Amino acid sequence: MNGDGIDAGLEREVAALIAREAMLLDRRRWDEWIDLYTEDAVYWVPAWANEEETTTDPETQLNLIYLRNRGGLEDRVFRIESRDSYASVPLDRTVHLIGNVLVESAEGDSVEASANCLVHVYGKKGAATRGSLYDFTFRRVDGALRIARKKIVFIDDRLEGPIDIYHL
Amino acid sequence: MDGAAYPGSFRDLVDDRVDEGVFRVDRSIYTDEAVFEAEIERIFEGGWVFLCHEGQVENPGDYFATEIGRQPVFVMRQKDGSLGCFINACSHRGALLTPFRQGNARALTCRFHGWAYDLGGRCIRIKNEEGGFSDPEFSRERFNLRRIGALGSYKGFVFGSLTADVPPLEDHLGAAARWIDLLANQARNGLEVVPGSSTYMIRGNWKLQAENSVDGYHVTTVHRVFASTIANRETRDATVGMRQTEAGRIKGNVPTGAYDLGNGHMSIWALHTTPHVRPIYESRDWLEENLDPVEADWILNRGRNLYLFPNVMLMDNPSTQIRLMKPISPDLAEVTVYCIAPKGESKAARAARLRKFEDFYLTAGMATSDDIAALEAVQDGSLGRLSRWNDMTRGLSDLVAGPDEDARRLGFEPAGCCPDWDHEGLFHGFYRAWRDRMENGAAAA
Repeated sequence: MNGDGIDAGLEREVAALIAREAMLLDRRRWDEWIDLYTEDAVYWVPAWANEEETTTDPETQLNLIYLRNRGGLEDRVFRIESRDSYASVPLDRTVHLIGNVLVESAEGDSVEASANCLVHVYGKKGAATRGSLYDFTFRRVDGALRIARKKIVFIDDRLEGPIDIYHL
Repeated sequence: MDGAAYPGSFRDLVDDRVDEGVFRVDRSIYTDEAVFEAEIERIFEGGWVFLCHEGQVENPGDYFATEIGRQPVFVMRQKDGSLGCFINACSHRGALLTPFRQGNARALTCRFHGWAYDLGGRCIRIKNEEGGFSDPEFSRERFNLRRIGALGSYKGFVFGSLTADVPPLEDHLGAAARWIDLLANQARNGLEVVPGSSTYMIRGNWKLQAENSVDGYHVTTVHRVFASTIANRETRDATVGMRQTEAGRIKGNVPTGAYDLGNGHMSIWALHTTPHVRPIYESRDWLEENLDPVEADWILNRGRNLYLFPNVMLMDNPSTQIRLMKPISPDLAEVTVYCIAPKGESKAARAARLRKFEDFYLTAGMATSDDIAALEAVQDGSLGRLSRWNDMTRGLSDLVAGPDEDARRLGFEPAGCCPDWDHEGLFHGFYRAWRDRMENGAAAA
């Protein structure tokens, strides 16, 4: 146990899962990436409401991406794999770098964690490095941790697009 | 003009010989620095541009900061409920006065030397005034903020001009006003701008964004993947009701049309095959009881994109959108998108409207991102100067001058009508207005 009462083994498991997600995105292993999510997973990238605050309620406010189940991720992968998306051919190259992984709480099968992510992108528009704040809820399904909710605060708000799931 | 002055005639950049079956534009209009400088001066800073929606400056002291061309301005709701618009720079040493893009203030105090202005732009405080301006004749009035030349609002949409030498706003909007009605009149309690926005950069000329927003012809190629993705989703999830997305317009084979609305404004429409999945459909009874039946039919059953020359697009298609465009350089434009929606619509309709918006419209969405890639490809290809012209003659033989039957029934007077949104006659009006403004400045508007 660490000082916050979080099991060190759980911290390692969470850090490995977040790193694994990043690896699968960077290496375009889309189906394995989707398998990290629960069927009912929520994937949420809020918009900025003003210079200092993001939107907070997807039911009444605009978001960059708000997917209410794993099917939403499948839509994104379907579009990328179709090779019919102007914005996705050729695909940008990405390198995700994860840091500051912190398990915030663990209760029963549910684990809350946060992390930071820098994504270095290289594509036809050149190179860019952009930062995000991650908030996760994980749920243990058949013994394995899965992502039940991921909120991404993408700190840029003058976006050099496209912005798709592998850029975040 | 400085050394970037354009050496030739702007007229030569639009090869307008429709009688001979020719309408084409020189691709340098997307890439040339001198053309761009003249556009800023004569189009964006020389005539009416869209500023904001009144809902973004609802209460006294609410301000909205934006730009007209390159010049920073802010719209301010006055104590008497009217609107004011001023150059956003302290009269003293020029610092921007608004700390945020949008906000509320009892007075605007410059954060540099502490000078303050009331909502009407009057200079009301100069820090240590008596120690610096001891002339007994001194009046702070000489430091009042500079008002822009003209300001007007139509159905809640606010427009401004740096120069006062412009026609009345109603004349500028002309036939396009009826298309604004179709958005405004669907909301019995008025429209509101939904919290949250997205700004993105396009590495392409602003006119390519203007063209793209009312180019029906690209839809079945660029958005084919959107339609197939949505079809895959709706089969997989057995989607019903408002969560469904109208894709008939993308697959083609529905009635469509396009209009040259005059003064550079353009519009397109396509018949919805599944109007019941649109959030507005819950208001059908009210619309049919309270509006002219033709207008209600247009609102409920026709998806519409409207481009208002030069800097805003109003979309009522999968969702409802204000798309505000700012030209930065010949090959860079900044676009900000807002979701606009009827006040008081049901929670289910609002959520459905937002999900459709996010699916399609954003650079993080699954269609606008493809639009941006397409028009950026035109920007890059336009550098191939050995191949000079963009052709816009598709549908020329079907182009109708003046109103068609649809326009007469709804009550607007377009300059030209295309019976299919695959046709390109609407761009003739855009580029004629562009050419005339480039040659004559605002006086031609």
